[in-house]
Amino acid sequence: MNFLDLPLMDLHKALVAKKITPLALVKEAIKRAKENKDNAFELINEEGAKAFATSLGEPEVDNPLWGVPYFSKDNFSTKGLETTASSNILAGYIPVFDATVIAKLKERKAVLLGKTTLDELAMGGTGTTGHKGKTYNPYDSKHEHMIGGSSCGSAAAVAASVVPFALGSDTGDSVRKPASYAGLVGMKPTWGRISRYGLFPFAPSLDHVGYFTRDVYGSAVLLDVLAGRDLHDSTSSTEPVEKYEADLEKPVKGLKVAVLKEIVDSITDCELRAHFDKSVEALKKQGVVVDYVSFDRQLLESCYATYIVISCAEATSNNANLDGIKFGPYRGGKTYQEVMYNARTQGFSELIKRRFVIGSYCLMRENQEELFLRAQRNRAKIVDEVNKILKDYDFIYVPAAPGPAPLFVSASDKLSDEYLIADNHLCLGNFAGLPSITLPLCYEKGLPIGVNFMGRAFEEKKLFQISAAFERLSGLAEASALAAKEAKL
Amino acid sequence: MNFEAVIGLEIHVEQKTRSKMFSSAPDGFSREPNSEIAPLDMGYPGTLPVVNKQAVINAIRVANALHMTIDHMLYFDRKNYFYSDLPKGYQITQQNRPIGKNGYVAIETEEGLKRIGIERIHMEEDTCKQLHFLDYTLLDYNRAGVPLVEIVSLPEMHSGTEAMKYAEAIRNIVVYSGTSDGKMEEGSLRCDTNVSIRPIGQKEFGTKVEIKNINSFKNIEAAIDYEIQRQSKLLLSGEPVRQETRRFDETSGRTILMRVKSDAVDYKYFCEPNLTPIKLSDGFVDEAIKTCPELFEAKKERYLKGGLSSTDAEIILADPKMAAYFEEGGSQVVSLKDLANFLIVEINGYLNRSGKTIDEIGLKPSVLAEIVLLQEKGGLSHKQCADILAKVLENPSLSPSEAKEALHIVAQVSDTGAIMGFINQALEANPQSIVDFKAGKDRALGFLVGQVMKLSHGKVNPAEVSRLLLEELNKR
Repeated sequence: MNFLDLPLMDLHKALVAKKITPLALVKEAIKRAKENKDNAFELINEEGAKAFATSLGEPEVDNPLWGVPYFSKDNFSTKGLETTASSNILAGYIPVFDATVIAKLKERKAVLLGKTTLDELAMGGTGTTGHKGKTYNPYDSKHEHMIGGSSCGSAAAVAASVVPFALGSDTGDSVRKPASYAGLVGMKPTWGRISRYGLFPFAPSLDHVGYFTRDVYGSAVLLDVLAGRDLHDSTSSTEPVEKYEADLEKPVKGLKVAVLKEIVDSITDCELRAHFDKSVEALKKQGVVVDYVSFDRQLLESCYATYIVISCAEATSNNANLDGIKFGPYRGGKTYQEVMYNARTQGFSELIKRRFVIGSYCLMRENQEELFLRAQRNRAKIVDEVNKILKDYDFIYVPAAPGPAPLFVSASDKLSDEYLIADNHLCLGNFAGLPSITLPLCYEKGLPIGVNFMGRAFEEKKLFQISAAFERLSGLAEASALAAKEAKL
Repeated sequence: MNFEAVIGLEIHVEQKTRSKMFSSAPDGFSREPNSEIAPLDMGYPGTLPVVNKQAVINAIRVANALHMTIDHMLYFDRKNYFYSDLPKGYQITQQNRPIGKNGYVAIETEEGLKRIGIERIHMEEDTCKQLHFLDYTLLDYNRAGVPLVEIVSLPEMHSGTEAMKYAEAIRNIVVYSGTSDGKMEEGSLRCDTNVSIRPIGQKEFGTKVEIKNINSFKNIEAAIDYEIQRQSKLLLSGEPVRQETRRFDETSGRTILMRVKSDAVDYKYFCEPNLTPIKLSDGFVDEAIKTCPELFEAKKERYLKGGLSSTDAEIILADPKMAAYFEEGGSQVVSLKDLANFLIVEINGYLNRSGKTIDEIGLKPSVLAEIVLLQEKGGLSHKQCADILAKVLENPSLSPSEAKEALHIVAQVSDTGAIMGFINQALEANPQSIVDFKAGKDRALGFLVGQVMKLSHGKVNPAEVSRLLLEELNKR
């Protein structure tokens, strides 16, 4: 038995019982990380992690994260550890402070093993655009299917059981989509629930700290630690932090779920449809009220464009600090304009520059009304529609993606209207800032497929309650560990 | 042709809060370069802005003093542009919803009090300081993130003098509200002026020229007066005024072209997503106003009631430390006017000679008040007290009474009988002077007063001597 394959709760018991030490666990995880062939890692902090694991002392019974190794997406500021956001422009950048979530995990004695790959600057959904190239899906040893992005490396690290959890970030679906493709629990709570201090900004009004685990229990106890008001982030909420795992066993009878009809209808994958329908029946059997509810189709179709306009506009401004003067390699130039021009031209990839151009264009005085402000208004309309449904229902329940992980050859990060709805609806949770969780549903030809529950603001505890019930129904909690999955198939 | 000048001012004021506008770095100014920086001030990835509460309180106080409508919702926007002094690649400011709108300030003009309209006041953060050398530039991030308030007037001034008085009025408000040092020489108050001229009677504005880098209040007047002349000459010779930015050169007293303005830059403003709108409660706003330190105008009124002339009041108020000193000592003396005389003449003279500031002289206001009281109640002359003051300034370990003893100063004799004794002695000893006086020689009176002073060893009040002597002479 390998302890890294255990669910978080069992791993914690093993650590408390001293069946394994944090140091031994770290060594094992580093071994797995080095053997891994998915190109998931930017940096492995071998010496630092070992030293920290050695320093931990006696096990802490009440601290489920004590001695547990984890990876962070490489867009969280880690003091003294190079952080590039998988972009050449940040090559060699060593932060001077820890992100709040990194500091909190350190305080709870979780062991940071290193940093994982992402789509460059977290902008992308394919896991292919980082400066280290494609990140692969551990479920596909032929490396033909993607794992999705932008939190590709963190998803791969957890799916391959290198670590029990990993940090990600989610601006459109960057945790919850790869979670679907990697058979994981992918969580992003309410906007403001977790401090963003130290998360490299992509689009702050949409950015969330999120994370991957292999089961719902792990997801809930992690939020206990990560949530909370942070004086460094004035958008962090003062809403009290709850004990999020408290209701995992509580019956779900009487909870109300809305399935968005237009989203399910837009999915052509019959196998997925069948599994999804079955899951609805199973929920009903538990006493959950499930209704198919209609969502304005035009609004759904506008999600992607709205997302692109707002996120690119904010992104172009957020990354203006990377100018070759403060940050980014110096590429020469006679004037400050030339220095900036050279650094940015050579530092960013083509896709990033496209996004900046789109963002700048949308913010230009003559376009702002027609593009940026119109997108903002449309966002408000979409949020109204979502909240209207959540007035009557506890959750919105939908498939997280139109099918299993697509092939690399069929995917592009450029605009496409294929699956305009089915592939892009998870950003509803970012527009509205609502808690949203992806859970494994089933497998199709060995590749996982996930579903998504979205709840009301700050009702994470209830979201974990339905998630735990769902997990018991799907029976995939343990199957979400790759090793265990192979045993089952 | 006669022209009318139209002038508007944009004033940036650096706030002297303990920390910066959006970071916890100290807001200290005069330290080592790059010693007062938080990660946010350099635009480190992942840093987030947190609004400085005191900066908001200051802005509310200034807005209130300028009779503005205060917005109870705080909104911030990003102003996006690339420049080497801009750490984040954008500046956080208040474009769409400034904290204050539609106010005015009154200035004194030859035609009486005049109201100058103020369009807006908003908060923003300063950029870093650049030091340009021949082939490189150094950046000092201490200034990056320092809280600013920007106050934008309406184009309602028509002369350099008016503009200078307006800027001084703003200075008085920001200084006495505790918002800023308000020193143009040190850049804690910066003034960009927009000047255009038009034929008298014309409604449309002429082409606007912006003047930057003015480093004193006096130079606001000088720069504008020069610029009005320059533009008038251009128009009279048939040349158009170009839309341009000029700077004031103090040595030549001229404005010099910096750059011709092309189309205005597009700053791509949008709402700052890292700062959700903040609701200011009525209680918060009211408290900020209620607890605002007493302002210049109120103090001046109080000083005038205390018997000071307008000029004297302004001399004391020109330095807020002097004003604070004055008020502390003022509570102990009989007449504010007596204290003011010592401050304006003796203390100011000492400050000028020694190059010290009022808080460096080591003389407590209570000690100065003690000296003033020696004049007011102790029977000493102003001159005697001034000597004591000089002695104490020279030797701060001495108390006024010790200084008085060291100088052998004794109280004047004001008893009429005693003075008459000295007068009679002097007249008996100098009969010729009586004759001279009767013959109309005024100098004789002065001579006799001197004799009386000599006989009394300076203990009698010379004015009293003069009065009694004159009476006595007229009797004889």
